[in-house]
Amino acid sequence: MAIVQPKSIKYRILATHIVMCLFLLAVLFPLYMVVMISFREGNFATNVSDSFYDLFLPRMDSLTLDHWKLALGMSYVDEAGVEHLPPFPVLKWLWNSIIISFFTSAFIVLLSTTSAYAFARLNFKGKNALLNCMLIFQMFPSVLALVAIYALFDNIGEYIPFIGLDTRAGLILSYMGGIALHIWTIKGYFETIDASLEEAAAIDGATPWQAFRLVLLPLSVPILAVVFILAFIGTITEVPVASILLNDVDNYTLAVGSQQYLASQNKLWGDFAAAAVMSGLPITVVFMLAQRWLVGGLTAGGVKG
Amino acid sequence: MDSFAFEKRGKTSGGGAPGLMILKGLLSAIVLLFGVFMISSMFTHGQYAFAILFTIVIAGGLLVTWMKGMYPHRYIFPSIAGMVVFIIFPLVYTVYIAFTNYSAKNLFTLERAENYFLSQTYRIEGGDYQFKLYAKEGNKYVIVLNNQPTMLADGNPSEVRTYASPETVFFDKDQMEKPSNKTTASKTVIHVTKVDNSYTQDMEDCGIKCKAAFRDYLKSIKIKIDAQELTYTGLNTFSAVKNRFVRQDQVVLGNQETLQNSHMLKDVSDDSLIIPDMNDGYYKTIDTQTGEPVGERMAPGFRVYIGFEHFKRIFNDPSISTPFVKIFIWTVCFAALTVFITLAIGMVLACLVQWEFLKGRGIYRLILILPYAVPSFISILVFKGLFNENFGEINRILDFFLGWRPEWYNEAGYARAMILLVNAWLGYPYMMILCMGLLKSIPDDLYEASAMDGSGPVQNFMNITLPLLMKPLTPLLIASFAFNFNNFVLIMLLTNGGPDFLPEDGVVTTAGSTDLLVSYTYRLAFEGGAGGNDYGLASAIATTIFILVGALSIVNLKISKMGAKD
Amino acid sequence: MAEVTLTNVRKNYNPSLLKDTLRNINLDIKDGEFIVFVGPSGCGKSTLLRMIAGLEDITDGELKIGSKVMNDVPPVDRGVGMVFQSYALYPHMDVRQNMEFGLKLKKFDKDTIEKRVNNAAQILGLEALMDRKPKALSGGQRQRVAIGRSIVQQPDVFLFDEPLSNLDAALRVKMRIEIAKLHKELNSTIIYVTHDQVEAMTLADKIVVLSPLKESAETNLEQFGTPLELYHNPTNKFVAGFIGSPKMNFLKGQLIEIGEETCKVKLNTGDVITACVDARRASVGDKVELGIRPEHLVPVEHPDSKSRLSGMVQVAEHLGAESFVYLDVDGEDFTVKAASEIPVDTGDSLEVGIPAEACYLFDSQEKAFKRTARYNRT
Repeated sequence: MAIVQPKSIKYRILATHIVMCLFLLAVLFPLYMVVMISFREGNFATNVSDSFYDLFLPRMDSLTLDHWKLALGMSYVDEAGVEHLPPFPVLKWLWNSIIISFFTSAFIVLLSTTSAYAFARLNFKGKNALLNCMLIFQMFPSVLALVAIYALFDNIGEYIPFIGLDTRAGLILSYMGGIALHIWTIKGYFETIDASLEEAAAIDGATPWQAFRLVLLPLSVPILAVVFILAFIGTITEVPVASILLNDVDNYTLAVGSQQYLASQNKLWGDFAAAAVMSGLPITVVFMLAQRWLVGGLTAGGVKG
Repeated sequence: MDSFAFEKRGKTSGGGAPGLMILKGLLSAIVLLFGVFMISSMFTHGQYAFAILFTIVIAGGLLVTWMKGMYPHRYIFPSIAGMVVFIIFPLVYTVYIAFTNYSAKNLFTLERAENYFLSQTYRIEGGDYQFKLYAKEGNKYVIVLNNQPTMLADGNPSEVRTYASPETVFFDKDQMEKPSNKTTASKTVIHVTKVDNSYTQDMEDCGIKCKAAFRDYLKSIKIKIDAQELTYTGLNTFSAVKNRFVRQDQVVLGNQETLQNSHMLKDVSDDSLIIPDMNDGYYKTIDTQTGEPVGERMAPGFRVYIGFEHFKRIFNDPSISTPFVKIFIWTVCFAALTVFITLAIGMVLACLVQWEFLKGRGIYRLILILPYAVPSFISILVFKGLFNENFGEINRILDFFLGWRPEWYNEAGYARAMILLVNAWLGYPYMMILCMGLLKSIPDDLYEASAMDGSGPVQNFMNITLPLLMKPLTPLLIASFAFNFNNFVLIMLLTNGGPDFLPEDGVVTTAGSTDLLVSYTYRLAFEGGAGGNDYGLASAIATTIFILVGALSIVNLKISKMGAKD
Repeated sequence: MAEVTLTNVRKNYNPSLLKDTLRNINLDIKDGEFIVFVGPSGCGKSTLLRMIAGLEDITDGELKIGSKVMNDVPPVDRGVGMVFQSYALYPHMDVRQNMEFGLKLKKFDKDTIEKRVNNAAQILGLEALMDRKPKALSGGQRQRVAIGRSIVQQPDVFLFDEPLSNLDAALRVKMRIEIAKLHKELNSTIIYVTHDQVEAMTLADKIVVLSPLKESAETNLEQFGTPLELYHNPTNKFVAGFIGSPKMNFLKGQLIEIGEETCKVKLNTGDVITACVDARRASVGDKVELGIRPEHLVPVEHPDSKSRLSGMVQVAEHLGAESFVYLDVDGEDFTVKAASEIPVDTGDSLEVGIPAEACYLFDSQEKAFKRTARYNRT
């Protein structure tokens, strides 16, 4: 709209900019701090220097890569000649997280695509009831059923050890329950695609599978990418189930393991900062690059649900 | 409408290529065989719930594979099965646990508790043997045993006998890690023969080091002297042991009645009888007159159905109900406040960011979404560090400017404020994104009309934007409320529920002033300490939350359906 | 090339509710005919087309294409090509790929595919657009690609599902002419669905008029015939009202005189109208409804004017070449289409002449009486 505005709008705009900048400062403060801390000597603020301002704007010569070395699995020797070993296998955790999240999201995309296809395109009894049921059950947090989930995997593991407790496959499997929202998202997208396209394909001689693969799927790549990324982020940040199913420190995911840095007996603030930046940055960057599409995917399921 | 063509093809492809059909049949047969094995095994182990679950899942899978009319169901089966196994079953199972006394103390099923007792042993008097290890060539060892001389009636010690094994390969600690070695060891019986007492004269005792290195191995094996079987009972001893309990199905009581109980056991060491008390979940010695279980509880307990016991405790037992009520109130306040705060910030920001006169809105928008892009577990832990009372940067700033160092983790008020603050930081971008999407759907001409009427930005916001946003937002706000009601990760990573309530408040369970019901449940179940690992109680609380969440989500579904109709 | 025969076809979407969409549809479509299914929305015309295509199953009855029963044959093997209302062009493929898609699936060799696609492109004037994605095409171009996609398949029967409804008015006329030319060129059977009776009248060799099925009705196939047959001899009031624009005027009345060639009707307004209708199957005093097309009304001084009728002018529209006057005749809307300007204004009273040959007459069941003459206004 191009409504003619009164002159006072200049001040309003200025005031808004100031408020916005202050707010942005508050938003960025923790992120700036964690990056800074990852380069700062020692593990806590008091170790560094007595100047208040140095705490937030350190001098260049006081910066160090020690924390980053530890995060990358290397050791370093401090001035006193003591060798510091990495406190935790962060890279191993990161790798676990990536493997688990990758396969989880791949399976989630696969399962929710086929389900969404059936829900959007095929007719069968109880379709709507099933869809609503899925939404309702999705709202129950798995934290509350952890005892049961633990018992379940304890039991499965007795028969099929490779999906039992403390296995990646088991954890991936446990995430297969939470796909209702993804099904809704993909279903919503499928419904925006003209069903005549597949009918045209059927008349052109395509089997249902060909119609799905050659027509529907290529058109759905954007939404599938969105679901993949959302599922990936969801999995990589999942804590409760992973913390119950994984016992061995080497099997931890990042989300489970990184608490160890700040557990009451360890105050490895600097080491944590480096590990956090290292593992958080890629996810953040991917999210920001894809945010235009992700935002749509995030809200579509909700608004339509 | 359009399902026909596909269903038709589906039906015909059901009888498709013969190779595929054989593969399908083969796979089904394997699944069926394995399923039958697994399910029957679960049944015999008393794991009825799991047996039923897998019966349903496997039968469902085979049904959709082979039933002709079930073609569409093939597409949804995997995800439905996933939901059933990993969401619905745990839900039902949790409700079931809520009615049992399942806890660290009552961990086993009755069968396993019984087996535990049956595997208990006691040492036979005079059956102890000291042992020593001697290294031989080729990594082989000899184990040598001496009996414990006892004082005989005539005041002289009894004769010392020495036994030695052949040269044997022992598995050390690392080798015992391998499951195959473990099973080999557990089947190993070493026969020792009587030798001269001076047998070890020229040999060098391998000492405590060997004993430590081979401890796992020694624990697994058995040693046989003549007919007597010895097992490892201490760092220096092997002993002849005997089962302490044996089954005894019935006994004639003092009142001449016969007590029948297939789980009854007899303690061989003192000839007392024990039976499981099905109300209490423990084995107890019986009163020989009445046959009632009256003795002390014998650990380990087992799981029994206890009805509404936990629910009664939640509402009546002050040691549970006091923290429960406090936590419930805080949970509701936390969720409501979070929704309100994040919505307020998010909506205002969304309006500002979409204000066409504001230059650089794109950059603002991008940075404002940032908190949402950072994985939440990382940002929560970052805040945990920043808020540290002594070393954290936030207290440094507050101290520098205001001379104020709030005890974020030790005072309930500050801790709660911190949680709300952190959650606002984490949560406002979602609300902002939602509002931005909805703002776009408000037609511009409404604002043009209001401009003609002479309304300013604040009136615009209050009279047009807010009312038009609230309607589509309501279901999303309820969903957000439900999510924050159960925002476990935030609490677990930031405060872990602390600061804990003090015992003088009459609280015996682990509970803290920032605990939400979920984290309280988690701590009851998985953290030790007073009243810890009480799965039953935790599940009972979880069940009450299920009911709340279920009601909330049904209401939500109704509201969003009404919204969709308009 | 093939004929299409439907025998007692019925469609029911939801067997638990005894509510048919189509009932007792019997059609005999000859090879090379251009057939148009027309009717208001909800009459099942698209459903009927989709049943022929194989996109919907046939609840009852028999469908033959050529001489083969096609009830259970999947769409691809029916030898039909279909153009969808939304065109259904594959958005991720360019024009050439769109046209090749079906041939590739059927594993035709490269040369045949290229020959057929180029041929179709030439017929439709698409040569310059072959590398474009559907998004980059105008509505008319998309329409042509959709038609091209079915041409390359060389089907026996072309099915068009409201193909012009997404185009603007000018383009619609243009495409209509192109489709008519195409039919001449390909000379194959075409079944065409539209809700626009002008399209139906201009394109069709024969028209099938369908109505929304009434609970008790035997069938909802109202009439099957050539456009002029439908215009001059509609079998019932529904067809009479549906065919022709502006809509036919209906006035209620009573038979007062029945003859071999003509009869007389006394309208509720009191006017007596002479009509060239053979009403001998009814008797004097029966309730009837008189139909007159707006374009058949004449000035009272016109020689054809046998009877007359008057009403109050509500609105008069002067278009230059012709005028439309909307009258209120005893509370009923009554439209007059005049060839020249009529100097009337709102509130005036207007008297019009009714030629006896122009009258249609329907009994209380809305069935038409046989007309004994046709009328063309000069």
